[in-house]
Amino acid sequence: MIVCIAVVGHQNNPLYIQSFTEADDALKLHHIVHCSLDVVDERVNNPKKSGPMLNETFLGLLYPTENYKVYGYLTNTKVKFILVTTDLDVRDADVRNFFRRFHSAYLDAVSNPFHVPGKKITSKTFAERVTNIVKSVSFHTTG
Amino acid sequence: MAPAVPRSGDAIFANVERVNAELFTLTYGAIVRQLLTDLEEVEEVNKQLDQMGYNIGIRLIDEFLAKSNVTRCVDFRETAEVIAKVGFKMFLGVTASVSNWDTEGTCCSLILEDNPLVDFVELPDTCQGLYYCNILSGVVRGALEMVSMKTEVTWVRDMLRGDDAFELQVKLLKQVPEEYPYKDDE
Repeated sequence: MIVCIAVVGHQNNPLYIQSFTEADDALKLHHIVHCSLDVVDERVNNPKKSGPMLNETFLGLLYPTENYKVYGYLTNTKVKFILVTTDLDVRDADVRNFFRRFHSAYLDAVSNPFHVPGKKITSKTFAERVTNIVKSVSFHTTG
Repeated sequence: MAPAVPRSGDAIFANVERVNAELFTLTYGAIVRQLLTDLEEVEEVNKQLDQMGYNIGIRLIDEFLAKSNVTRCVDFRETAEVIAKVGFKMFLGVTASVSNWDTEGTCCSLILEDNPLVDFVELPDTCQGLYYCNILSGVVRGALEMVSMKTEVTWVRDMLRGDDAFELQVKLLKQVPEEYPYKDDE
């Protein structure tokens, strides 16, 4: 289950953060997202493999914790998407697919003429769409 | 024999030059944004958009008549049909439907289910009075005025305000008789 999703601007300013848990652990999840930003920076500054993957936006698993796994995605405009999930056995392809859909939702949201780039995303449509994507995606594995 | 009046703008739409829809949408969005910044008052922006639409309409009608091969409409009902089926298709790429006629046949609604101007758009709370597509009402008004019909065009439903479609009410105020100011001997 996806518990938290965040969009972070290129100066590490939060643009959108949404958690999907019943419990009152928003702060904990925000903390996890915050920590993951350092990992993103690290990945970007020390790319492990260079060469063909110059335009690769998917950063893969950032770090696992006991209960969560954190995935990252970095657009070419340096906007970061962070995903926190409780599923511990996840296929990369599913996460990629999720991020691709999330990215297109994000694109539509920033194309709104009333959205100011670099400011928080306040669009209700975006929130709705994200919720739908999160609901429709399940990282089920056969094992 | 005169060519039959086209009942749909599909054929014409296939032949006119087109621009990328997103470029169009974003350009219009930028215009509205800029107007809001410059004029500050939402009411003023509505007026300005209408005026801009009017200025477009009085020019656009000529292009419409030149390219669409429509013949003279016998009554206002036919005019409305032509606008909805041919005009909107030709310039906006969508068709409208005509309904809600009053008994005298002078007032009707053009209903747009789909409107390329509002892709991505979501009105913020501060602009609730804004008629985002007010340019369209100006275009219809301007175009009809050039073919000697004084009309009043108002928005009845607006998807950006939570309605299920865009409804543009067109009311025929009066038909101005054609005037010939030219003297034969000049």
